[in-house]
Amino acid sequence: MSQRQHYIKRGIFGAIPLFIPAIPFALAFGIAVDASGIAPLLGWSSTPLIFGGAAQITLLSLLGEGASVAAAVTAALIVGARHLLYSVTMAPYFRHQPEWFRWVGPYVLIDQVFVVAMTFEERNDPDAFRYFFLSAGFAFWFLWMSFTGIGLFVGPIVPDAWQLSFAVPILFIGLLATGVDSWHKIAVAAVAAGVTALLATLPNRSGLLVGAIVGILLGFLIERFRR
Amino acid sequence: MNVFIAIVITGIGTYLMRGGFILLLAQRQFPPLALRTLVYVSPAVMGALVMSMLTTPEGHIQVGLPEFAGLATAATLATTTRNHILTLTGGLLIFWLFLWLA
Repeated sequence: MSQRQHYIKRGIFGAIPLFIPAIPFALAFGIAVDASGIAPLLGWSSTPLIFGGAAQITLLSLLGEGASVAAAVTAALIVGARHLLYSVTMAPYFRHQPEWFRWVGPYVLIDQVFVVAMTFEERNDPDAFRYFFLSAGFAFWFLWMSFTGIGLFVGPIVPDAWQLSFAVPILFIGLLATGVDSWHKIAVAAVAAGVTALLATLPNRSGLLVGAIVGILLGFLIERFRR
Repeated sequence: MNVFIAIVITGIGTYLMRGGFILLLAQRQFPPLALRTLVYVSPAVMGALVMSMLTTPEGHIQVGLPEFAGLATAATLATTTRNHILTLTGGLLIFWLFLWLA
């Protein structure tokens, strides 16, 4: 087996176990599309066009609740703002790469791809990194295309009484809890949540934006005046 | 049509956030304070997002015992095991258990 095939295989097999938690998320996506009243195929087009579960669900649910395009897009982009951090962190590994890879790679830079790429031992070898990153990224891409399609059919037939859509806040609180590793971050999350609750009556769910921005400002102040 | 426009704009924005630094700033130095602040984006957004999912547009917080138990279980499992499958199954099972008991 060539080196190239070896890295491609490792990328694909590294992706699969991390995809399993995304399956209920794909069902939640189907439920969100169904609840929003948006045509299924139109809703699904967000999968190839956005390729990010949290942003897709946020955008479509807010549009379904009657939010304006500007408010829904802003909220979805703020939800996806952590990708800026991935982009900064991954930039050095894209330095000694062909130009086309710098354009194609970011399309599949989702949470799980970031995690597997950062834990790939040979990430400093440009060829190995490229094969691994692309095969893991497009394995996720293929799985997410398929499972969000299945979710459109399976999500809505799950009985309402199960309240399966509660899987979404559960997943987000899980992501939040695994991400907070200092009391600073806990304080930032709590302040953001508190401000959002206080501003819940603002139109177009914009309290969410203000809450997130106040939280980030608190984070900035913590870093600015630390030590 | 509005929905499709919103999807396209979000798609372009998401791509630019993922690719922006890789494409433009790969060779440049980034202010350390800005990098340290970016770390807070995720907790702030997640905290605000979870809260917005639990409140109605009228400003009521919709958290009964099942919701609280499910979220608390999920947060505990995520912190202790860092396993997303376990977090989701545990959180949902406890949520359903309390729904069924109520």
